[in-house]
Amino acid sequence: MQKIYRVLLFIGLISFIGCRKENNVFDGPSINETYSTFKVIDPFKVSKNTVDFNAGESVYFSASFNKVVTWQIDIVGSTSKAHKIIEGSGKTINISNATWNGSTTIFPIFAAENCDAKLTIKDIADTFLVNVQITQAKKIEGLMIADFETGLNSSWTKFIQSGADMDFKVKTDSVAPQGLKYLNMAGTVNWDYLIGLIDYPALAYGTNPTFNLPSNPDDVYFNCLIYGVPNTNQSIVLFQFKEDENGDGTFNANTEDEYDLEVKVDWSGWKLVSIKYAEITTIVNGAPATPKGNGLHNPDKIGKISMLHLANPNDGFASTKIDYIIFTNSKPLEP
Amino acid sequence: MKHLYKLTNIIHFKSTIGIAIFIFSLSLLFPVLIHAQNDRKVNFVGSARALLNSNNLTVTDSFPDSLTIKKRDGGYALIDLGVNIKPNKNTEILGMFRIRNEYGGFWGSGVAFDVRQLWVKGIFANSVRYQIGDINLKQTPFTLYNHHADQIDSMPLIFGIQQSIVNYDRFYMNNNTWRMQGANVDFGFSFSKIIKEINFSGLITRLNASNFTTIPDRLMSGYSIDLVQSKYFALGFNNNLVFDVKGTIPDSNMFNNMVNTINIKLKKEIGKDLASIAGEVGQSKYAYTQDTLAPTYKDYFIHAYAKYHLTKYNLELTAGYLNVGPDFRSIGAQSKDVNYNAAPSYFNRYGNDQALRPISLFDIVGNENIYNRTVSSVLAPTNQLFNNVLPNGIATYNRVGAYGKLDYKTKKNINIHAAYFNLAEIRGQGSLALKKFEMYKLNMSLPIHQLINSKKVLSIQLGTNIQKTNRKSAENIENIDLETIQYTAGIRWEIFKNFDFLAGTIKQVSKGNEFAPDRNTYSEIIYFQSNQYELSQQISALGIRYNFSPKSHLTVLLQENKYLDNKNTTADYSFNQFGIIYIISL
Repeated sequence: MQKIYRVLLFIGLISFIGCRKENNVFDGPSINETYSTFKVIDPFKVSKNTVDFNAGESVYFSASFNKVVTWQIDIVGSTSKAHKIIEGSGKTINISNATWNGSTTIFPIFAAENCDAKLTIKDIADTFLVNVQITQAKKIEGLMIADFETGLNSSWTKFIQSGADMDFKVKTDSVAPQGLKYLNMAGTVNWDYLIGLIDYPALAYGTNPTFNLPSNPDDVYFNCLIYGVPNTNQSIVLFQFKEDENGDGTFNANTEDEYDLEVKVDWSGWKLVSIKYAEITTIVNGAPATPKGNGLHNPDKIGKISMLHLANPNDGFASTKIDYIIFTNSKPLEP
Repeated sequence: MKHLYKLTNIIHFKSTIGIAIFIFSLSLLFPVLIHAQNDRKVNFVGSARALLNSNNLTVTDSFPDSLTIKKRDGGYALIDLGVNIKPNKNTEILGMFRIRNEYGGFWGSGVAFDVRQLWVKGIFANSVRYQIGDINLKQTPFTLYNHHADQIDSMPLIFGIQQSIVNYDRFYMNNNTWRMQGANVDFGFSFSKIIKEINFSGLITRLNASNFTTIPDRLMSGYSIDLVQSKYFALGFNNNLVFDVKGTIPDSNMFNNMVNTINIKLKKEIGKDLASIAGEVGQSKYAYTQDTLAPTYKDYFIHAYAKYHLTKYNLELTAGYLNVGPDFRSIGAQSKDVNYNAAPSYFNRYGNDQALRPISLFDIVGNENIYNRTVSSVLAPTNQLFNNVLPNGIATYNRVGAYGKLDYKTKKNINIHAAYFNLAEIRGQGSLALKKFEMYKLNMSLPIHQLINSKKVLSIQLGTNIQKTNRKSAENIENIDLETIQYTAGIRWEIFKNFDFLAGTIKQVSKGNEFAPDRNTYSEIIYFQSNQYELSQQISALGIRYNFSPKSHLTVLLQENKYLDNKNTTADYSFNQFGIIYIISL
């Protein structure tokens, strides 16, 4: 009998050692959330009905549900038709995942206007709508090179080939992604890649001989909005950043650095192009090359920016549009 | 870790002419095989099998199935040819080729030529045994072990004949080994005092080879140290490690799964009875070295049982306790013999939508194509219908509870085996509520001829396995209630000397609901599939067998397989199969 007690004691001891409970956690997603019927716990709301983005304000959206869902908020400007998309998944929509600072996902940029914000939930037919009024559009900090709202600056230098169907003009129509105007660049030049160019000298911005930019190339971002025209031959927009390293007011191509950003416009509609100045390389005839100056990116020594519209002369007519050329500090443009 | 191999010739034939030709062919082969079994340095060993079958499918779908070809005849012939070389008294080498010809193949068309097994074994320094090449390996139930968790315990003989094909092809040697490729050594020391002996064994095998870009070499190593103090006390330490070999791919993120266990066994004679206590405890770690998205699983397990053998009644009682942590991972012990991702070989698509035919009782019984030969390199999927209580045997993670077993054998050789498991989850799956599991087993073999003192064998096998899964939650949608009942019955009746009538049936009815986890590559649950079952499967067969010798027999059988899904998740079907099986074991 004593032996049986020992056996039972042994089994009891093992059972005690093995006793463990994990009452507060479970593996995998909640079955209750996955399979229960969708319900809105807290309705879809916006934190305020009017917002001044220019003053640095923002709004956030909120809602909560009984289960994890995949959701999307589409904010559309009633006048501009600007479109902001915020998306996520979870049981709640709140300040941490649905804050809007006035930025745009699909151009144009939001103006001071009334906006509709629509919440859609994957696999749920119902949608939820709130309204928000923008009193002032978002303020963008940076060195504006060109937004074409006042046309072409007389201090800029232009060269436009005498090809066929040439249209190198500032346009005012509903296509404008920001403000009311943009620059159209189009034409057929069957003897040269160059269709036209504009030089933006620092002098035009009152900071001769160089632009007023930070010296650290990692802090400077170059941005612009470029429009790809559907069903036309591919345009190439080439930006040449010419550094006046010796500060003599002129750029010497044999002794000073030139950095080049080549953008092949292979998309349709407006697209934001942003790049850190430190990442821009030297290109000669489309091929990487060694800069001729000190070999250092010196954004504070940029004396002139040349913008060239290029296309293969064998292809025929090429067309693109450009707007909102701007340097921003520390981060890419968030329009 | 003994190497075992068995020579089995299994032949299915459809026509009488085929049988005659086959038997004649074997009669030519026999002398060669028999003469091969002497003590020469070079012996030729081998086996042969031909399989021809005729199948007729019936599909009951909402619309008549006009796409599936309902009648299929097929099969193959194969021969395993081996050379066993003993260059000296301490070394033995075996190389075996398999030549397989699909039914209808001729002059190279449909012919496959493979190496079936290749190994060298021997003893060096008169003390260390080694084997290199193909090896059958096992350690303990929580380190490296083929649990055969979904197998039918009481398999009627007529189906057991079919399963012997699986066992032969997949090297299942009835001792829970896995067939692996690598090397192992074992040696021991004997002592005159205090300790009787200490035995060491070690292994190293490759689970998968590198593709030099994304898949690294994955190896398994292991060792065991067993200290035997006397026949009353033994203690062991076991290690098993699955690991990726750094440098075999550009990525430096490497996987490893380490398991360390201690096992103990105590015995005590109480009068004429024998009592024993045994157990194994251990812990595991399952991790990736650099993948920040990958979880690290660490957990432990305890398994202990007490056994009492009443010699007078030839009755053995076992009571056990099991606690395997939810994060306990052991690839060597949790690999499954059945690959539920494999496509069944017969009528693998059916119905108007040509849906993949789910793996059924028929496949479990005798379809070698769904069985794994070796340990998988990742944790394998399980099937709720065939084993929801312990899908990875007693190494199943996330289980705690107790069990009891009874084994009874009368003087007239009536065998009764009963078992009851009462288990629960430790951590919930998609719910804080925990599942509870119950499993009842009762298997019996009745040698009627011994009861009535007849010389002609008349034996009956009966068995049942009932599995219940329940979860009761405050949220009704999380509730689970699944029951699977499996019945088996078989008979062997020796009508004339060496001439048996065989019949058997296995029926499995599953009813209720369960949630099946979908797991990602890290074995994390990412979704739960809601499954509703009202499923009945049954295979029934009858046949005749002629025994040429205890190891050699010819069987003709007719088999019917039914699959009825009352929830209409899949279309109902049934198919009949005719076959002839000829087995020779040398």
